[in-house]
Amino acid sequence: MIQFDRFKLDNGLTVLFHKDTTTPMAVVNILYNVGARDESEDKTGFAHLFEHLMFGGSVNIPEFDTPLQLAGGENNAFTSNDITNYYDVLPVNNIETALWLESDRMLSLAFTPKSLEVQRSVVIEEFKQRYLNQPYGDVWLELRPEVYKIHPYKWATIGKEIKHIEEATMEDVKGFFNKFYHPANAILCIGGNLELDEVKRLTTKWFGDIPAGEINKRDLPKEPKQTEFREKTIERAVPTDAFYYAFRMEDRLHPDYLVYDTLSDILGRDKSSRLYKSLKKELGLVSNISAYVTGSIDSGLLIISGKLNDGVTFDQLDEAFWKELDKLLNSKVSDEELSRIMVKIRTSNEFQHQAVLNRAMALCMNELLGDADMINHESEKYAAITADDLQRVAASTLIKTNCTLLNVKASHAE
Amino acid sequence: MPNRNLQPELVAIDAIDFVAPKKYDLSPTVPLYHMKEVQNETSRFDLYFDAGNCRGEKGTPGFTNGLLLSGTPTKTSVQIQEEINSLGGFLESGVSVENATVSMYCLRENLKSILNTILDAIKHVDFKEDEIKELCADRKQKWRINQEKVATRAQQEFRSKLFSSNDRYAITLEEKDFDNVQQSDLKEFHEKFYLQGLTKVVIVGNFEEETILEIAEYFNQFLASEIGDFDPNVLHEPGIQKIDKEGALQTAIRAGRMLFNKNHPDYLDFLFVNTILGDYFGSRLMANIREDKGYTYGIGSMVAELDGTGYFLMATEVGKEVRDETLKEIQFELTRLQTELVPEDEMQLVRNYVLGQLLKSADGAYAMTDLFLSAELHGKTLDFYNDAIKSIHGITPERVQELAKKYLKWEYMAVVAVG
Repeated sequence: MIQFDRFKLDNGLTVLFHKDTTTPMAVVNILYNVGARDESEDKTGFAHLFEHLMFGGSVNIPEFDTPLQLAGGENNAFTSNDITNYYDVLPVNNIETALWLESDRMLSLAFTPKSLEVQRSVVIEEFKQRYLNQPYGDVWLELRPEVYKIHPYKWATIGKEIKHIEEATMEDVKGFFNKFYHPANAILCIGGNLELDEVKRLTTKWFGDIPAGEINKRDLPKEPKQTEFREKTIERAVPTDAFYYAFRMEDRLHPDYLVYDTLSDILGRDKSSRLYKSLKKELGLVSNISAYVTGSIDSGLLIISGKLNDGVTFDQLDEAFWKELDKLLNSKVSDEELSRIMVKIRTSNEFQHQAVLNRAMALCMNELLGDADMINHESEKYAAITADDLQRVAASTLIKTNCTLLNVKASHAE
Repeated sequence: MPNRNLQPELVAIDAIDFVAPKKYDLSPTVPLYHMKEVQNETSRFDLYFDAGNCRGEKGTPGFTNGLLLSGTPTKTSVQIQEEINSLGGFLESGVSVENATVSMYCLRENLKSILNTILDAIKHVDFKEDEIKELCADRKQKWRINQEKVATRAQQEFRSKLFSSNDRYAITLEEKDFDNVQQSDLKEFHEKFYLQGLTKVVIVGNFEEETILEIAEYFNQFLASEIGDFDPNVLHEPGIQKIDKEGALQTAIRAGRMLFNKNHPDYLDFLFVNTILGDYFGSRLMANIREDKGYTYGIGSMVAELDGTGYFLMATEVGKEVRDETLKEIQFELTRLQTELVPEDEMQLVRNYVLGQLLKSADGAYAMTDLFLSAELHGKTLDFYNDAIKSIHGITPERVQELAKKYLKWEYMAVVAVG
């Protein structure tokens, strides 16, 4: 059970407080309700570039990092297709410094041309380091537009191409800030050994006078149901053939969301999973294989990916792959298999919620989805999943017409 | 209206509660450490074996470790995995230069059962030929993929220059090393360094003493009676090596030198110098090469320790076109530390930062255990960290300069750039 209190400031900022008496550290986590899905198609990569600019100084404070380090703290941030999340971890006695810093950059940024110029270069190097100069690094850049034809999930958070980042202007940056960075578009969670009254006093002191902004009504195109098998093969200078089967699934709030997650565990979470045992251990077709869900807020993907053994063809794999999936459609998962998966899920959740930072992030994310308290009901929802649920969802999901396949062919195989 | 131009008042850290795990002697040489103070149902065990890369020929230590759960005369690898997974265990195992570990994360109600499964699998592993073949093929494929990464290539080249005086420390595998791996070599290595090679056991989790005493019995048959020697005096080979990689968009740079570990009187103060230079977001390398020039997504430095020695390392990936400019800027920052005194405000910033991070490293049973182990490895107690707090409060700009002059001469570094 993750206890929390919740209150809202007059300007619309939602504040969550998670008391943890066991740690000398405090966490300040702020989720902004903006991600790559909110970008326009000719200016992609912007939410992420903007995340970098948030460290380039705010209206009253020339530098973000220095005062936080002076307080013994550190921070980081990440951008996804759905959200942008910032966090600070510091000794609880110095928590006010984090609130001072975070509130000032919510109020306004410094918008210096130097910061924009440097962070453009940094992000371009990040683009190269993580996506272009890595074997298989561009897979998501290739796969997304095959799966998503109209929804903005068709581009990756880093952006469609380097050019979009090179062309970002100061005007773009300011427009983006005004639209998305204001109290009502954010959720703040404070974790640590504090009292609720103190948290109320401090958050009101630092965030209370930030002007309310206009709530941005999101109206994204809904990706239509996929009705045909899609397949693409790209050649790359990699040593080994790799495959990515992507199945469309429902959105994060759909009652079956956790059923998809469980299905992916059955197929490819660990060395007892079905695909590992059959395609690797019995048939020797692959060197590795795994399955997972993307976890996005709008209609996401169940991905099954891996690498072929030398001498095995994509066709050989494909035949065995669909045979194995069909077993999930044609017969029920045994109680034993289901209970094994559930122990694994319970264990990983227990470890995940171990750190106060993870708890704070999870509370913010669940609050964005509708109610932070959903985090406390996840276990019972997993426990309620039946073999019938799994078969029903497998039957509508793990079928060819709902699948996009990307194969990466090694162009200089020996 | 709050005053937004003024940083809220700070509270200094001058003492941290360090908590040691309880020690049990499995034998005169092999300890078991138990950290009980876990607030939830999670638990972990780590088994340390004297089975590091320096103990065997080429790939033997790595392959042996990778095959520990590959099956026994009565169980297949799949059956072993199913036993572990049905108890919700998450396995991590690995080999470093000087030791090998097998770690398991699980709920505490399952720890004893999983431990039994793991020890039975390790004791009776029979190294079946098809499992050896499969592992070697998988590792060979991974090796080939990694060879495409400039970071991996630079790391390999750097290691061979860093550990150049000792072949056993400098080992890097070549493609042919994955072929013709002999079952008899693996069996021999296993017998010597696993079956009689257990050097340390760590258990984290809310267990009663009687459970720990019961668990302690499991290890009797594995205990190492003596631990072999480690090289206390590995020497690096200074000099710059630049390697082109066709088609690369970035160049990976690794630069550093052999140094020392916690047992050297300069260790604690040098850690402070290292932080100023490259071990936090506001460090000089980051401020110059990322935040001012935009050459890289990240650059950093670190001090790593071995049993009898240690080393200093700087690492980054930069745009290929700015490789030489980056090397010049790194050299500039090293020289600046030797020629200019660090300003007092920067000293204070790093003092506060390092103390905050030390507090964080002592936060929670798992972090505290790792902090303890890092001292224990060098024969130190947790007093070492109380000394560290004193050293952080007491260090002066003159001392920083002295250490920079002593240890950070560019001409004395081994430098590799690949890409």
